[in-house]
Amino acid sequence: MTKLPDWLAFDPRGPLRLGPRTFPGRIWTASGCFGYGLDGADLGTAGGGSPFDGLGAVVTKTVTPQARRGNPPPRLWETAHGALNSIGLENVGLARFADEIVPVLEARGVPFVASLAATRPEEFGDLARRLAAAAAGAAHWHGVELNLSCPNVAEGGVDFGRDPETVERCVAAAREHLAGRALLAKLTPNVGSIARLAAAAARGGADGVTAINTLIGMDVDLRTGEPVLPRRRGGYSGPALLPVALARVDEIVQETGLPVVGVGGVATLEDALKFFAVGAVAVQVGTAQMSDPFAAAAVAAALAAAG
Amino acid sequence: MNPSADATAPPARRLRGTIADETAVSSSMRRLDLELEEPVAFQPGQFCMLNLAGERALVFGRPFSLLAASGRRLSLLYKVVGRGTARLRDAGAGAPVTCLTPLGRPFPAPDERPRLLLAGGVGLPPLIAWAERWGRPRDLRCAGGRDGDDLPRGLLGPGWRLSADRPAGEPGGRAVFAGNVVELARSLLPAGAPAHVVLACGPLPLLRAAAGLADERGWDCLVSVEERMGCGYGVCRGCVVPRAGDDGYATACKDGPVFDARALDWARFGGEGAA
Repeated sequence: MTKLPDWLAFDPRGPLRLGPRTFPGRIWTASGCFGYGLDGADLGTAGGGSPFDGLGAVVTKTVTPQARRGNPPPRLWETAHGALNSIGLENVGLARFADEIVPVLEARGVPFVASLAATRPEEFGDLARRLAAAAAGAAHWHGVELNLSCPNVAEGGVDFGRDPETVERCVAAAREHLAGRALLAKLTPNVGSIARLAAAAARGGADGVTAINTLIGMDVDLRTGEPVLPRRRGGYSGPALLPVALARVDEIVQETGLPVVGVGGVATLEDALKFFAVGAVAVQVGTAQMSDPFAAAAVAAALAAAG
Repeated sequence: MNPSADATAPPARRLRGTIADETAVSSSMRRLDLELEEPVAFQPGQFCMLNLAGERALVFGRPFSLLAASGRRLSLLYKVVGRGTARLRDAGAGAPVTCLTPLGRPFPAPDERPRLLLAGGVGLPPLIAWAERWGRPRDLRCAGGRDGDDLPRGLLGPGWRLSADRPAGEPGGRAVFAGNVVELARSLLPAGAPAHVVLACGPLPLLRAAAGLADERGWDCLVSVEERMGCGYGVCRGCVVPRAGDDGYATACKDGPVFDARALDWARFGGEGAA
């Protein structure tokens, strides 16, 4: 059992108040790393555990206005201490998400945050409006995380989330329809100043920001001299990101004081405590959740058990 | 025909354990025996995601088809093809692991029609397991290798017909057909032979040839695909294969790894910028 350090400025074992919502915990799963929060419900451990035990929220796979088939394979490539992905925002589209997935999450009592992506600021407003209408009574739907930085989609993606003015417009468009839900903007680290993006999100009405999305990365197959991913570059995630993510969270907290949900390379309670140390209010487990469906639940359990 | 949604296949569990034994079974194939914290059961065609505990340089687990289970002992076959499998070979007995298993849709139990088993490389374990559990004299079992020395002969009883692209003699006095495993099957089942249901597991060219044979004869065919995986339980969408009927994808880990050959789009399979 880990002893909670006495330098912690707050007790991370309690619930989290973020905007208009109270989340049941501060250990979440990251978007794209635990599906829509449906898969894994049938998995167990020798001790009878569930991957959902103690989670503060599941941030769903990103949903777009229309269904997307995603990128051609190969979509994943492991490097030392990290992984490249180019999934291409494969998803069922908002209509099926609202009609088929939200009711199951709600019935199972899974606290969730819907990750939304669009290609124009006004589309974020449409997505938020449609989801708010379809899921109005969903008590376990805590909020929305705007994916402003998925680097894989040629028509939108990273350029669009790199411009503070565009970030502000996207957030404002969604905010209008999300009274009563927490609104987060997930920010790209592939910029000079991430704090400027965070400040823009706050001006648009975000309750906080999630940092960081994947770095842009690449690998080369030495047998062919070609990139390993068909689209050449992809999103880089995994343990290698932890120091980068910590620095970016620290930058946002120091320069803006905004609530930050930290994400990047977290696999253990010790990793999570580093984010809490620099001021993150919650922590997401991403790539580690792919290699172990019980990763986030284990971090939550270790936190709950810490004295 | 549908891959089995067999209600007797237990849900997957993440179990801790250790490497109990690791040994070469042919020139290229190795057998790994795990001792897990609880007894395990599986259906032929299912797989595990295996992680070396505490190994953070390896970001993802590695998928392995299951060969056998007995009590808390789980066995699989593998080839060293990269960093992960090399670490596994070198980890040694006693190394701690975590194992998520059993995963994926298995090959179904047989009906009255004879089966044609076509196995190559690391595609052997599911069909060895199938033959041990359900095999009958009327089923035809074919296993193929590159030079014959890479076939794990100790695991392939006399009921198996063997083929090799470049046969290197006939050790043990067993005949080895010169050619690939589908060519072997064609030689044993010429046009007009009774209908068989094809069960194929191995690299993509083998699966493609098996599906081609079945299509030509009007036979049913189930294939088990091999793909690079991230999670193994359906969440990462990394291990997709092209689905027939639309331009979308199915996951090898959860929708498969066993598919009706007609459910896959063979024209797109392996051809869309595969590295």
